[in-house]
This record gives sequence, C-alpha cells and structure tokens, in this order.
Amino acid sequence: MSSHATDRGLRSATPLTNLIVLGGLVGVAIASPSLAVRGAALAGVLGLAAWSGVRARTFLRRLRFVILFAVVLFVAQALSIREGVPWIDRGVHITDIGLLAGAAMALRFLVILASSFLFVSVVDPDRLAGAFIRWGVPYRYGYLLILSLRFVPFFQRELQIVREAQTVRGIRPSIRSVRGIRRAIRYTFVPVLVSGLMRVESIALSMNGRCFGLHRRRTAPRAERVHAADIVVLGWIGILVGLSIVAARGGWI
Amino acid sequence: MRSSSAFDVTLDGLRIRYPDRDRPALDGVTETIAAGETVVITGASGCGKSTLCRAIGGFVPELIPADVEGEILIGKDSVWTTDSARIAQRVGYVQQDADAQICTLRVEREVAFGPENLCLPRGEIDRRVDEGLSAVGIEHLRNRETTELSGGEKQRLAIASILAMQPQVLLLDEPTANLDPEGARSLFDLLRRLRTERGTTLVIVEHRLCPVLGLEPRFLVLDRGRLVGRHAGEHIAPRAVGTTPTNGERTLRSERLLSVERLSFAYDAPLLSDLTFEVRRGEIVGVIGPNGGGKTTLLRLIAGLAEPDRGRIDRESDALGFAFQHPHHQIFERTVRGELLIDGPERDAGEIEDWLEEGRLGGLGGVPPLSLSLGEQRRLTLVATVRRRPDLLLLDEPFIGQDVRNVAWIVSRIRAHCDAGGAAIVVTHDIPLLRTLADRLLFVDHESILGSPSDVFDRLRAAGRDAFHPEAWGAGG
Repeated sequence: MSSHATDRGLRSATPLTNLIVLGGLVGVAIASPSLAVRGAALAGVLGLAAWSGVRARTFLRRLRFVILFAVVLFVAQALSIREGVPWIDRGVHITDIGLLAGAAMALRFLVILASSFLFVSVVDPDRLAGAFIRWGVPYRYGYLLILSLRFVPFFQRELQIVREAQTVRGIRPSIRSVRGIRRAIRYTFVPVLVSGLMRVESIALSMNGRCFGLHRRRTAPRAERVHAADIVVLGWIGILVGLSIVAARGGWI
Repeated sequence: MRSSSAFDVTLDGLRIRYPDRDRPALDGVTETIAAGETVVITGASGCGKSTLCRAIGGFVPELIPADVEGEILIGKDSVWTTDSARIAQRVGYVQQDADAQICTLRVEREVAFGPENLCLPRGEIDRRVDEGLSAVGIEHLRNRETTELSGGEKQRLAIASILAMQPQVLLLDEPTANLDPEGARSLFDLLRRLRTERGTTLVIVEHRLCPVLGLEPRFLVLDRGRLVGRHAGEHIAPRAVGTTPTNGERTLRSERLLSVERLSFAYDAPLLSDLTFEVRRGEIVGVIGPNGGGKTTLLRLIAGLAEPDRGRIDRESDALGFAFQHPHHQIFERTVRGELLIDGPERDAGEIEDWLEEGRLGGLGGVPPLSLSLGEQRRLTLVATVRRRPDLLLLDEPFIGQDVRNVAWIVSRIRAHCDAGGAAIVVTHDIPLLRTLADRLLFVDHESILGSPSDVFDRLRAAGRDAFHPEAWGAGG
C-alpha cells in the first residue's frame, strides 16, 4: 500500500505528512495573530491543491458555501465592531479594526475548512487506515474507517439512482403537505436505506468469506516510502509555523 | 491433478426456512459433491440456488438468520459448528451482486484483503494479487478506485479477490451475469484451469447452461427448494439449455420514434463518440458491447437522465419506460401489489392480480418486494414498466436471474409491446438470445457498429471479437 506513480503533490506524500500539514495549517489559522501569515496559509492550501492535481473547479465548488459563509462572517464583523478609525460613516459604521477583525475571522474559517477539504481530497482512506494500523490501532477500527468512507460515495450514487428511478416512473415527491413528506421519505429514503442495509449484509458476508477477524492480527500494510513531496511540504509547513510564532512574539498584524 | 487437501461437500437432509417466508427455501436436500468435481446448480428463479451457496459457504444461520435442519459437511467439519471465517479458508463464495461485496477502495487492496487476513507474508500476498488480477484480465485496473469500475469490472474484481484466497471449493452465484461475452469466456477458461491444475471443486449457479457445458459439469436441478434432478451435461443439454424463441414474422413501421444524432458523451475519458441511429415503431434494437463500454449510459441519455456532451437526441414520444439494471432501485412500496398501484392505469384488484400472474409473480401480491429473489424483483419492475404502456421501452439487462421460462415470457412481452406499435432498446450480454430477438444490433465501444444481427456479428468476428458471435456460445449461425 503506497502512492502510485501517477500521484503528485500531497497525493504522493505519506498519510503522516498529510496529517502534520493539516494540523499545522489548523494551528496557524487558530493561533497566528498575523493576517499575512493566515493569508500565506490560504494561498499555500490553494497552491497545494493545484500541485496535487485537485481540479480548481471541483475544489471551489465544494468550498462555495464555505466562501459564502466567510464573506458573511467578514461583513458581520466589519459592521458590528465600533472601535477604531472610521473608514465609512454614512448610514453604516465601518472601522479599520472592524475590517481587520472581519478579515481575520474569515481567513481563519477559510484556512481551516479549505485545508480539511484538501486533506479529504488527497488522502487515500486505504493508506490512512493502513497508517493507523501500523501505528498500533487495532485493524478492526482501521477498517471501520475504510468502510465508512466506502459508504459515502455509495449513498451519494444510490440517492441519485433512486431519484432517476422516480423520474422515469413519474414520481414527484413533494414536501408541501404531511402526506407529501411521508411519501417523499418512503419513496426516497427508504429505498436508499434498504440498499444500504442490503449492502451491509453483503459486505459482512464478503468480509467473513475472506476470513476477516479470523486472527488477532493480520499482515500489516506495506510501510510508506518518503518522497520529495513529503520533504517539500514539511519544510513549507515548518516555515509557516515558525513565521506564525515569530509573528505572535513580535506582535505582527 | 487432485489437491491432496481436497474436501468433499456433503449435504444431508438440508432444510432452510427464512423467518419471513412460510415455505422453506431448501427442503430435504441430500447430495455429495466430490472433491474436484464441477457442479452446476440450476432451476427456476427463487428455487433456492443462492440459499444453497450461502449455506455451503457457512453464512446461514451465522450471518443470515434462518431455521436450519440437516447437515452440511466440508470434509469432516460441520458448517453449523465451525466459524464461517474458518470455512472461508476452504470455501470461496462469489456473490450474485459483485458490487455489494467489495469492501475496500482500491482494486489492488481489494484483492490483497483476504490474504492479509490469513496473515500471509507480504511477498506471497503480492504474488497472489498479481495472479488474481491477471487470471481475470484486470491487471490494468490495479490502481483504480473500486467505485469507478463498471459492473463487469467489479465482477472480475470480486472473482479475483476470492481466487487470491486459493479456496479448495469455489461457489459462484451467476458469475457471468454482468460479464461481457469476452469476460465470460475468459472466466470459463479460468475455471477450467482451476479445475485441472488445482483440482478446485466448482459449484456454479447458472441459468444459461450452454456456456458451462464446456466445463463438463454435473447438473443439480432445484425446484421450490427440493433437489429434483441430477444429470450429466450431455443428458441435460437438449432439455434444459432451452432454445431461443425465434422472432417470427414481425412488421416494422416506418414511423420514427427515436433519433440519435452524432451523440458524444464522456466521464473522465470519452465513452460514446459520434453515435447516430434511429429507432422506428415496431423495432427491437439490441445493444451489446464490452463492460464499461457505455451501454447503460446510452439508455440514461435516451431517457433524459444525463445530458450529452455533443449531438442530439429527439424522442417523438415522452411515453418512455425504463427498467434499470438493479431492480431494487425502482422498488418503492411495501408490497408487490402496492408497487403496481403507484403509477399504473388500473385500480382494480383483479387486473393487478392478472398482471402478477402474467409476470409469474402470482400469489406474491402481499409480499414485501425487497424480500423477493433478484429475478422476481426484476420481473416486478418489468411488469410495473410495461403496464404503463410506454411507446419506447428501455431494458437494461432484463434477463439476468431468469430461467428459460421467464426469459421466454420477457421476450414475448417485448414482442407484444413492439407489435402493438411500440419499440424497445434492450441491453444484454445474452448474445444467442439477441440473434433472434433483435431486429437490429448496436455494438457500443470506442467505435460503434450498427446493423442487422448477422451483419454485426460477422463484422465483430472479422475484427477478432468472436466472443460476441452466437456460435461462440453454442448457438448456430
């Protein structure tokens, strides 16, 4: 179990490196007082996403509600803080401190969420579970993670197929009445749930049928190799954390 | 060559009844399957074939609750008293729905999953992964995500992952149901090799008997849970293999029902490219092609469930019926009868019962649809689709899980629909059946071929794809 030849950026880095990067970015977003450092963290996340082959369109689409909420946070902070030098004072009262606080809040929110999305996008759950198992986590719990993640695309796909099945049968679930809601639940969630339960039974048979749980231990996944990407991103996150500490001590904004 | 550690499988008065059914799924089955033997279990849909496989695999009642009587021995060990994971070291089970048995996210990891559970050394696991992948011809998918695979590719993966366990007894529940003809042929070649080189005992559930004759199996025939026949291959062939009903005199009309023009569609890679064809009233168009070639996608595009990247699709009528590949997606109600009442024109109970009788689902009106066998569920969704009297009928693998009589019923329904002025597009891997059922064939791959069945078959054979020719499956030209 390791990265593949076609993987690049964070995709080729080890799960441990990815965890450190995620932890570092979240730490910087929470602890750093400096807007410049937080901005560098956000730019770094976007750069890492591009380097790792995550399509910009996909990444931004996933983040669209996060970006929208960050804008709302910025505006709310800017409008609600009265202290500081006024920038606008006609109808609404906006000060420099309000703008800085809004930007700080929005950037913190964006860095945490964007780095989490990036982590989920680039880390292979199989490799992550393998890493947990190598670190001593019982393999049953490691596979719990894999199976949970296996069910995410499954439910997304099942929901889409069930909606398509409703379309071709002319079923239009409505939520405008109690009866409509009950019908929508029965015709949408029940088939998806039933599919899920059937899937659980089949997977249980499949795992049992391949001796899962027969022994207390199982062959450990192959150890991860360290690539150039690991060194590059660990170096970068080290510099960012260092800058964050310097900024905190020096009182940078 | 018979393996020194081979095991007989002994069934003695086996009776299994599921909690939600009055009738036992298996009733007094007594049989011995000798080590190294190849046995094909056949019989009508819902006769207990899958239950028998699951019981031999040790899953009943440990994982699937049921009342059990009698005995199953693997060698000298009773499956009732042996942990199913231990049984799995000797018995490998490839389920009917291959997609549902994949439990990891990468192809390579899936094949390695079983050997890792056996605590084998890493080098041996790598060797088994290589061997399993190459045995079913999917080495090129090694690094792919399992969620991205087509139905047929998943079936091959499921088989590879069981082969990596090197079981002495291999249970395969309709293993070719989702495989394209080339995949099915390579699977049977593989099974032949397993039998001769490793002495593996093969127990295969299969409705289409022609393809398995090459394995020289013994046939066990089940009927409503009872073992009613044991036959050598040469004896069962003329009777149970069945003959494909011919198309007879059919009239095609000139009125166009569907026009597809320069259709192109891609997911990550191009799938359909510059596809152009028309469907007229009265016409049956068969769609064949390799797994992952775009057959189901074509039906989804025609149904308006996906948008083409380029080109256009013009439907002359919006009255369209689409029976999906996996019937449980189209089942919404609590009872079989309720399912037909959702959107059908009849409200009269008698008419509903007539439809159920016609779909060979008589007496099942009050049963929860999802407790039906896969074949029965498929007929239910088919009945629900055709009774709405659509003009254009889209059927995705309607013959999977159906016995000879049910296939004949489905064929007759399709013909009746088209004779009444409708048209049908039928996706199936059942090549011999399409030879006589379809008026025209569409082969879908990177390049498509459209024409009369004999023309398309001949062109495919000339292109070296003779697995798509009916003669490869024992049907005359």
